[in-house]
Amino acid sequence: MNLAVTRTPAELAYGGELLPHARMEDWKWSNLRTLIDRPYPPRQTVEARPADIERLLKASPFARIAGPRMVFVNGHYDARHSKLKNGDVAGTIANDEPVLTMNAAFATGGAHVKIAGTADTPIELVFIATAAEARTVATRNVIEIAAGASATLIETHLGEGDYLANSVSEIRLGEGARLDRVKVEREAADAIHLAHAHVTLAKGATLRDFTLTSGARINRQNGTYVFAGQGGDAKVAGAYLLGGRQHADTRLVVDHQKPHCTSRELFKCVMDDHARGIFQGKVMVRRDAQKTDGKQSSHALLLSETAEFDAKPELEIFADDVVCGHGATSGDLDRDHLFYLRSRGIPEREAKSLLIAAFVGEAFESIGHDGIREALVAHAEGWLRQHGGSP
Amino acid sequence: MLAIENLHVKLADEDRAIINGLSLSVKPGEVHAIMGPNGSGKSTLSYVLAGRAGYEVTQGSVTFKGEDLLAMAPDARAAKGVFLAFQYPVEIPGVATMQFLKVALNAQRKARGEKELSTPDFMRLVKDKAARLNIGQDMLKRAVNVGFSGGEKKRAEILQMAVLEPSLCVLDETDSGLDIDALRIVADGVNALRAPDRAMIVITHYQRLLDYIVPDKVHVLSQGRIVKSGGKELALELEAKGYAEFAKEAA
Repeated sequence: MNLAVTRTPAELAYGGELLPHARMEDWKWSNLRTLIDRPYPPRQTVEARPADIERLLKASPFARIAGPRMVFVNGHYDARHSKLKNGDVAGTIANDEPVLTMNAAFATGGAHVKIAGTADTPIELVFIATAAEARTVATRNVIEIAAGASATLIETHLGEGDYLANSVSEIRLGEGARLDRVKVEREAADAIHLAHAHVTLAKGATLRDFTLTSGARINRQNGTYVFAGQGGDAKVAGAYLLGGRQHADTRLVVDHQKPHCTSRELFKCVMDDHARGIFQGKVMVRRDAQKTDGKQSSHALLLSETAEFDAKPELEIFADDVVCGHGATSGDLDRDHLFYLRSRGIPEREAKSLLIAAFVGEAFESIGHDGIREALVAHAEGWLRQHGGSP
Repeated sequence: MLAIENLHVKLADEDRAIINGLSLSVKPGEVHAIMGPNGSGKSTLSYVLAGRAGYEVTQGSVTFKGEDLLAMAPDARAAKGVFLAFQYPVEIPGVATMQFLKVALNAQRKARGEKELSTPDFMRLVKDKAARLNIGQDMLKRAVNVGFSGGEKKRAEILQMAVLEPSLCVLDETDSGLDIDALRIVADGVNALRAPDRAMIVITHYQRLLDYIVPDKVHVLSQGRIVKSGGKELALELEAKGYAEFAKEAA
């Protein structure tokens, strides 16, 4: 059980932490701390009787006026009682992704980055948690790269102490836009990191997305990448550097909705000690997305007998003229490589470090900015100095 | 410099003896050729000297510069001056050739208590030695042996040897897969390294290489034992008679 998660907003509210009070100017006539006298806990699902719904619907005076009509019952869309023809509305929002749900409940702030033109220097968003009692720290960001614009964005997650960080980013790339995104997860050793990035690429947009995962004891990162226009190009890469009992799970969905888009996913995962890495990648190719070129691969390097890696690649293809593929490998260091290096005088630990660096290095290659790539390589080398592999 | 006494070696995970009582003594400045048919134990001997895992020494000893070579880790042997030019050098993606050379050279210097070489000094050293082996910048920029042709790999081995300046060079079938021009470049590189304080063991299947690297002594290896030793003319005799004839004669 996790305390931070089970304390719902309502409980917090009832406890008085979130409820507005009379000393707040905007709320001085509505002091909810005294007006709300009992808890209103959230419920994910509530059984609703059709008779109740119908009786209540009759209470709406507009039944005969409205054409399209959307009905929500207990917070969820109710298709049966709604009146929609195809194309009436864009869609419904189902808040069924747990990371998003938690974020919606807890988010206290976030960045709204809007880029028009060309941003010359990288923009960094730093999320820091300071040592304090166990708690949830949630942020929500919106990143918009306008048509034809380009930017490099770094997301750095750092902290001290015991906390649950929840980070959600909604990223929109306009026509012909380019975003180089680099995320570095270096949360505190006791921390939990839950993240969700939702990326939409318009026609001809280019994305280079790289994530380094080396912090937190529990890590779960979701990424969804939607090609909403033709000719999009996305490279999604990542590296895990895990030791101890760290657990990292990445779940990616690449959704090819339009033709002529290219996607590449490459994850290089290094696990030492009792660490566990998971990579789940799904490539969807919709019926209209002809000439899709989508490939994903994940490779694991296990430095100890007790480290573990699981890969779940999925392809869902509804178009018939596409090139798609996936691959996953898992193994330990190549003994012939190791012997070759040692036969030249390189001590075992250093030889292992060189080989591990070479293994993860491939994932760093998609980072376009030299300075950022070098800083990450230096960080990886620091990690390797501590984890040259179990001797 | 090197004294191998009554060496017996078997595969670690199999009860199969490969070297059966081999003795060999190599003095500084000497070049010894070891010739023999496939399966006679030539490559095993080179691996045992370099310290590769997978072999078990059941009897005998190898003394190098007065120390028990078999007790040392592969990297310690290298720092002490042993170098094996591999028959099949492995490709190591992601490890840059220059970085590899620099780490190797400085690790050896450090192990010997010498000062590490600065990057400019190192670059100069490699550039100079590479030029003599006809190795261009493009090759040096690639990852270790990755995408190299057979000849390029052998030249790269000799370059490593030239940079690391070992005192005992073991060349395992360095001539295999080389055309005549590549063979000449490699042999020139090896000959340039001949020195009074450096010994070489040249392992080869064919006499051809020994036209270019002229040995002081030639040994014939058969079934894990040296069955005949002689001067450089022994190689020619072998070429004329063939190994089968020779092994019979020796037995």
